[in-house]
Amino acid sequence: MKPTVAEQSLIVVILGAGKGGSALIELLTRCAGIRILGVADSNPDAPGLQLARSHYIPTTSDAAWLVARDETNLIIDVTGDPAVPPLIARHKSPQAEVLGGTAARLIWSLIQAEHEMYERLAHAEKLSTLGIFTAGIAHEFNNPLHGIMGFAQHLQGETDPAIIDDYSHEIVALTRRLSEMTKGLNLYARTGQMPDVEDIQLPQVLDEAVKMAAFSTILDEVTVVRNYAPVPDMRANPSELHQVFVNLVINAVQAMNARGRLTLSTSVENGHLTVTVEDTGPGIAPQDLARVFAPFFTTKERSAGTGLGLYIVHTIISKYGGTIEPVSQPGSGTTFRIQFPLPRAA
Amino acid sequence: MALWPFGVHDREHPSLGVVLVIDDEESIRKISRLTLTKAGYEVVEAENGEKAIEVLNTGENPLTVDVILCDIRMPKINGVEAIHYFQTQYPSVQIIVQTGFPDLNLATSLMKQGIVDYLVKPVEKEKLLAAVSRAVEQRTICNT
Repeated sequence: MKPTVAEQSLIVVILGAGKGGSALIELLTRCAGIRILGVADSNPDAPGLQLARSHYIPTTSDAAWLVARDETNLIIDVTGDPAVPPLIARHKSPQAEVLGGTAARLIWSLIQAEHEMYERLAHAEKLSTLGIFTAGIAHEFNNPLHGIMGFAQHLQGETDPAIIDDYSHEIVALTRRLSEMTKGLNLYARTGQMPDVEDIQLPQVLDEAVKMAAFSTILDEVTVVRNYAPVPDMRANPSELHQVFVNLVINAVQAMNARGRLTLSTSVENGHLTVTVEDTGPGIAPQDLARVFAPFFTTKERSAGTGLGLYIVHTIISKYGGTIEPVSQPGSGTTFRIQFPLPRAA
Repeated sequence: MALWPFGVHDREHPSLGVVLVIDDEESIRKISRLTLTKAGYEVVEAENGEKAIEVLNTGENPLTVDVILCDIRMPKINGVEAIHYFQTQYPSVQIIVQTGFPDLNLATSLMKQGIVDYLVKPVEKEKLLAAVSRAVEQRTICNT
């Protein structure tokens, strides 16, 4: 069957890889039917160039060369540089259209508004998760609090130095545990708008996600199996990666009704950083499998989820040039397989 | 404070009663043991529901346990399942829940099933002792 116009890829080149170009790359890579042929910027350190490379999009400092590619349908100029439009006019192939000037600024404003909305949505999803897990959080805090109060009550009037030493050590250990938990919660709740990108160890993020997942359930009958092969660090915003894996691990635990085996793995496979999150739950029905990443799709009760978790997981993974694929058969659990491009050697 | 419930004196063992403490956290079991033994109870411990059932079933006389102090969130057999088992197999043993979960629905449903109290951690020792004392009292009434 001949593809319709809508099914044919729209081939785009982007000039300018600053904030505008980056936002454009982020948005266009999420859209089916758009292929970015290349991104050009005269500044080799422009943030959009790095982002483009993580999506395997060719980058160049030579705008004229990119503009001259004859398969291009649309050239988007977000440089704001008055020298660029004449350069485009000189080099572009006749059928390529140009989006620049005021029209490009309008698109840039729309994308920025969309981006801000998304950031707020992602943060709201985190806060909503925290809200749903209030009881779990209370439980995790109440246990060490119980210990602290108990040992303190037994310290009152105690004169044996060995016993005083023992109980006070218990109190210190329990207080440390509480403090670790508040750190974990803070890391989860902090806003993703913090631009800091760090080198992140994926196994460590997975372990933190497991700790957070403890808040999501009243029961504690999940066996966690860790198959962590050594993987290189990944450069990413820690808060975003944390949100990805907390969501996946919590989903897995909820799917198993907190009883089963959770298997986490990291590896390098076919040139990709690969993470899998596998549960022994009832699996996902075939008709739901294609919809799990759609916003507001949920099979949970209204009080247990917003339906935004996997949508946000998918968006963040795409942002880092990665892919996520659910493999599931009813009755035999679900595996989410996540792949990121390997970081380029420094 | 009613630490010496009526009817306990003529029991075989000299303690105020035997309490089976079930909690997966060692430090929590330690607190309960300290509080209860200082007050004159005997304490047996188990780290989860499965172990608790083992303790009850392999003991020379399971009926020596008067009160079960039980957590909800535990590996292997969880508190809700364990409580159901205790109530079916050992209906005269009194059960107190001591949990970190301030869950009103769970508390209501377990109280309806006949547990003596649903204590939310952190629990002050006086509160625990009052609940255990009440439980022993009810146990004594059950046995007479």
